[in-house]
Amino acid sequence: MRLMPWHQSNWDARAAGNFIGGGGGTGLLIFAALAGDSLSDYRWQAVIALILVATGLLCVLAEIGRPFRALNVFLHPQTSWMTREAMVAPFLFGCGAIATWQGGGSFSALAALFAVIYLYCQARMLAAAKGIPAWREPKSIPLMISTGLVEGAGLAVTLGALLSGATPKWLAGALLCALIVRRLAWKFYSEALVSKGAPGKTLEVLARFGGRFTTYGQSLPELLVIAALFLGSQLVWLLPLAGAAATLSGWALKFTIVARAAYNQGYALPVLPIRGQGRAVPGVKPGWSK
Amino acid sequence: MASEVRKVPQYCYQCVAGPDLLTVKVENGVATEVEPNFAAAEVHPGAGKCCVKAYGLIQKTYSPNRLSAPMKRTNPNKGRHEDPGFVPISWDEAFDIIGAKMTEIRSRGPRNAEGYPRAAASFGGGGIPTYYMGTFPAFLSAWGPVDFSFGSGQGVSCTHSEHLYGELWHRAFTVCPDTPSCNYVLSFGANIEASGGVVAAWRHGAARERGMKRIQFEPHLSVTGAASAEWVPIKPKTDAAFLFSLVHVLLHEMPREALDIQFLKHHTGSPYLIGPNGFYLRDPETKKPLLWDLTRRAAVAYDTPGSDPALDGSFTIDALEIGADGQEWQHRGLNCETGFGKLVTRIKAYTPDWAEKTCDIKSGTVRRIAAEYVEYAQVGATVVIDGETLPYRPVSIQFGRTVNNGWGAYECCWARTLLACLIGGLEVPGGTLGTTVRLNRPATTRQASVKINEDGFMYFPMNPTDKEHWKPSPAVRNAHATMVPLSANSPWSTALGPTHFSWMFQKDSPENWPRVTPPDIWFCYRTNPSISFWDTKEIVKRIAEFPFIVAFAYSHDETNHMADVLLPECTDIESTQLIRIGGSKFIEQFWDHEGFALRQPAVKPQGDTKDFTEIATELAVRAGLLEQYNEAINRGATGVSLSSGKYDFALDPKERHDVDTIWDHSCRAASAELTEGRDSDGLDWYKQHGLRTRPISRLSWYLFPEMKKQGIRFEMPFQERLYRVGLELGNRLHERGIKWWDVQLEEYGGLPTVMDFPGIWEKETVRQAGAGALKDYPFWLLTSRSMQYAWGSNVGIQLMDEVADNMRGHKGVVINTQKARELGIEAGDLLEVHSYVGTTQGPAVLSQGIRPDTLLMMGQFDHWATPYAKDMKAPSMNSLIPMSMALTDSTGSSADLVRAGVRKLGAGK
Amino acid sequence: MTRYIMTADLRRCIGCQTCTAACRQTNATPPGVQWRSVLDIESGEFPDVRRSFVPVGCQHCGDPPCMHVCPTTATYQRDDGLVEVDYEKCIGCGYCAVACPYQARHITHRVEFAYGEPMASESARFDARRMSVATKCTFCMDRVDAAKESGLTPGVDPEVTPACVNSCIAGVLAFGDREDPQSNVSQLLDETQHFRMHEELGTDPGFYYIWDKK
Repeated sequence: MRLMPWHQSNWDARAAGNFIGGGGGTGLLIFAALAGDSLSDYRWQAVIALILVATGLLCVLAEIGRPFRALNVFLHPQTSWMTREAMVAPFLFGCGAIATWQGGGSFSALAALFAVIYLYCQARMLAAAKGIPAWREPKSIPLMISTGLVEGAGLAVTLGALLSGATPKWLAGALLCALIVRRLAWKFYSEALVSKGAPGKTLEVLARFGGRFTTYGQSLPELLVIAALFLGSQLVWLLPLAGAAATLSGWALKFTIVARAAYNQGYALPVLPIRGQGRAVPGVKPGWSK
Repeated sequence: MASEVRKVPQYCYQCVAGPDLLTVKVENGVATEVEPNFAAAEVHPGAGKCCVKAYGLIQKTYSPNRLSAPMKRTNPNKGRHEDPGFVPISWDEAFDIIGAKMTEIRSRGPRNAEGYPRAAASFGGGGIPTYYMGTFPAFLSAWGPVDFSFGSGQGVSCTHSEHLYGELWHRAFTVCPDTPSCNYVLSFGANIEASGGVVAAWRHGAARERGMKRIQFEPHLSVTGAASAEWVPIKPKTDAAFLFSLVHVLLHEMPREALDIQFLKHHTGSPYLIGPNGFYLRDPETKKPLLWDLTRRAAVAYDTPGSDPALDGSFTIDALEIGADGQEWQHRGLNCETGFGKLVTRIKAYTPDWAEKTCDIKSGTVRRIAAEYVEYAQVGATVVIDGETLPYRPVSIQFGRTVNNGWGAYECCWARTLLACLIGGLEVPGGTLGTTVRLNRPATTRQASVKINEDGFMYFPMNPTDKEHWKPSPAVRNAHATMVPLSANSPWSTALGPTHFSWMFQKDSPENWPRVTPPDIWFCYRTNPSISFWDTKEIVKRIAEFPFIVAFAYSHDETNHMADVLLPECTDIESTQLIRIGGSKFIEQFWDHEGFALRQPAVKPQGDTKDFTEIATELAVRAGLLEQYNEAINRGATGVSLSSGKYDFALDPKERHDVDTIWDHSCRAASAELTEGRDSDGLDWYKQHGLRTRPISRLSWYLFPEMKKQGIRFEMPFQERLYRVGLELGNRLHERGIKWWDVQLEEYGGLPTVMDFPGIWEKETVRQAGAGALKDYPFWLLTSRSMQYAWGSNVGIQLMDEVADNMRGHKGVVINTQKARELGIEAGDLLEVHSYVGTTQGPAVLSQGIRPDTLLMMGQFDHWATPYAKDMKAPSMNSLIPMSMALTDSTGSSADLVRAGVRKLGAGK
Repeated sequence: MTRYIMTADLRRCIGCQTCTAACRQTNATPPGVQWRSVLDIESGEFPDVRRSFVPVGCQHCGDPPCMHVCPTTATYQRDDGLVEVDYEKCIGCGYCAVACPYQARHITHRVEFAYGEPMASESARFDARRMSVATKCTFCMDRVDAAKESGLTPGVDPEVTPACVNSCIAGVLAFGDREDPQSNVSQLLDETQHFRMHEELGTDPGFYYIWDKK
């Protein structure tokens, strides 16, 4: 009999894959659209973005128990962020496909818009899972959105370097900005969990991860971007390296939150029962930090 | 598909806390669900509910691990490591084998050369298998002498001292509070919430809601401790010390008026005058014990009308004192005091400060609890029950196993009974009650068994210890009638003797003792001593020496591994039996009704199994005992006499009757008995209704009215009778050169003393394992009851295994968290626990709710043959407990307790 | 309006697991899937230690997060407060399971029986619809529904009362209509002090834990 919060087993790495693919893909689609003509190869960027999102959705399909009923997912737009995410997906892919065919243009803006909505849905989807303290914290929403944007910008600069070698300077600035926002979002998110209380194991996992994350996922790419802004013309690898670090750390962050720190609520008694006679005794919340 | 759904009434009697009344839902011929029998809610004291174990009956019925045909052994060698080579045979062949054996045995006479019965039979504890064995008791009755003394736990792992002394003092085979009206319970190791079944759970739940305060004294925090207002982690085996200390506070630190003086004077032996040799002072003419009458200022016979007995003081009288073996002393001008006076002196040394050192409980706690006990007792209060005004004393003391058997248990029982007497709370509403009789007769009601003896106390059928009548040659292998006068001579007495003696003496008979030889034929049913007794390795070897074993078998197990023939009977919900219900029975079974309940086939038998009654009938035929067997049934061997002055449903003794006919006659007789002969509804009626009851008066719960009516006193505090039989028994044994029972004989005394009871186990550990051994065995190892498993032999049932796992510690070794950390042990680490007898293994369960010097193993199931159970790899203390003369008390019992060491074998997963 | 709720009197509970076993059997759940179970929670430090027994399972929340997140509407709330799962609609995405703060939902992907091969009692009750979808305590919905036909009262008449409540041997569990001030549960709650688990999460649970008299 498990008393302390235990790790949820319903959503595993496949579910994390949806957030990784969805966040990274939509972020990339947004930055690819923003870059517009300044990015010479929108088409490649969009294709990769859509593949990422699609891979994420395939991961979900692989996880659900009754995949042949998958279309039922559209039945509850009133309150379910999963339905909403699913409903956005066709528009995202439709516009993305057209924009890809057109090599950019107005549909790329529409695709980016749906990507923003999709990303938002994903962030809300996690936060609506009330059974998992690490997810339901409202500050997970800015964290999930900001990391999606970081991953998108990171992928854009990395792919830009790989595909054409040309990356607009503002994109590096955007990556830096997104990183700073994510740094703050992470700080507020993790502080909120500590101050409100969470399963001890969740905090352990996040504390262990947080050290590496802020060093290699935040400080390193931030410094690399700054260095690239000054030395980028001589050291062309600085920016793609920063992008890769920012993206991979975002994926690690999501994998950690979804598949490693997702201890459930557990049980709690605000007060212990009186057994015949005696005084009220303060309650118990096994496995919680407070 | 149209579905046919029926709900078939049944009972469950898998433990002594039963019976539970239930229905089995049968859908299209398949049993699918167990439910309480809601129709019984009005009459059953547990609201008609059934315990968790009953829910396992469905899996039990359909388990693939069940034996589906008779089997015979093909390997003549027996032992744990011998493959029995069981092969399926027909019932005819099985009966042929057994029939030939029975005929051959009977041709040589009922007893062997040593005088022991050639036939032996063992059943699980508490007599519960009889509720499943149909008419087999009639077969055993027809057979003649049968040795029931090969125990599987009864006699040693029961609340043994309570059984014997409880019946002596207040017809209490088991003892319990009058829970529905009790307000304060001191519970010493009584895990009533786990062992008391549905009725205890229901009554104690209601009592808690009402505000009853229960304090649990136990080295670990059991389920009952959890559900109590307070847990006191007492040091193992020091309960007697704590109780004596309570007595001390009542007698030496409280005003005497706080006690129930009238009760002590008129309803106990307190005022009896004691002679210098430790016997009552008697009237030389009538030989009646004397007391000092404050009105007449003279010694008078105890039953002199209008006397006002002195409770204490010093008096000068002329009197006769009669000792053991008829020795007499005539006293003139003797200065003497009362039994109560002797008590006050005896108890003086047992101060709360002494108890603090002995029990590891603060002296302030002792005093607080003593004060609460007296305050809650409401001395002087009365209550009206069915028109009769009775004292109302809502306080009680309850004991569990280990407190209640082995050394120290007698002292606990004595102190408990005395504490009840001091506040007038014995056998009165709210107080401490007995439940049933098993040693006294008749067993119909407790009241019916009450008779006055010549000294004004209750008659008790002690086994004789005088020169003329003492039995030097034991009639059964555990020698209960020879060695334990208190075990009496009822059909239950054999199982209440020292049942380990049968096993121990078969290996090595002690000095000047007749040789103990194995039985020629052994029947066993719903019992598994190979895992449930102590020193199980030795038990297996002894069973392997039995030449012919017939096991009524549900599945292969550790005991029937040595059997010659396995007979699979139709199990719980496949066969027919009628049993008595109601009145008052074990544990907390106090009913306001009495009657009968039926078990019936809800589904077709699985495999080639037979109703036990059919098996018993066939065995009777094969043994040439049909007529005697039928006559035994007619006499009531199956629970109801088939004829009386008011009805006659007797079977034709010469005819062979089928199962339904036998039970139809029983049902008709039961109906007639309940209606004074007016009704004669038979089997069909009971199949439909499940049970039939009639109301009884709640006065039957209390013995005090009957005692008062007959002018009988409770035999407290002085124990002249025990002192006498102890001396006489010693004389008899010494006449035969038997010295090995001398330590046990010391327990027989006028007033008990508290010895260093834990020290007895410690000294034996040192004696067996060498000086300094206590360092190797620093822990006390205990066990605790599991409601999901206890008694039911249901350890192989997946559902029980699963739900039991929801409770802490079932499959592990429970150890104090801090202590574990000191030893580098983390939760889940694999531990080896060892005593000087054996070792066992299990994962560590860390708990704050256990003393640092104590280990706990809840399960006692280190099975190695039973399917499913053998894969559980749970630890069991049964492999670690010695069968030892030194650890056996004068009642022939010991306790589930041993000094143990622990070693980490590996890290947990 | 009707709102069926359950109460658990923690003063009485002894952790016997009779409700667990009764539920397993009545609802024919596979080994290990306990829609109702009783926790055994130890707290404090030696020698000041407590042990509490706490029946848990679906709380049939008034504001059920599982229902809100369900993308298929398989999880729905009835007018009488029962939160149920339509096995035919459920896709087994597990979202409800992570949304439930009571760990009350189970998704079984592998067919399992007590002893490997199914016994007759298991075959008779096996329901393939329950594979790979979310399952949980239904408050014995079929019995509650039967009350509408029979006119019996859930929580009073055993035929229309959840199996766990019927089975409870210590008088811990009770079931009834919270909206009816005369119902058994309303009266019980009026007389006692109680709490609901994780109430701060805003789920409005329909499971009340009684811990003392008023």
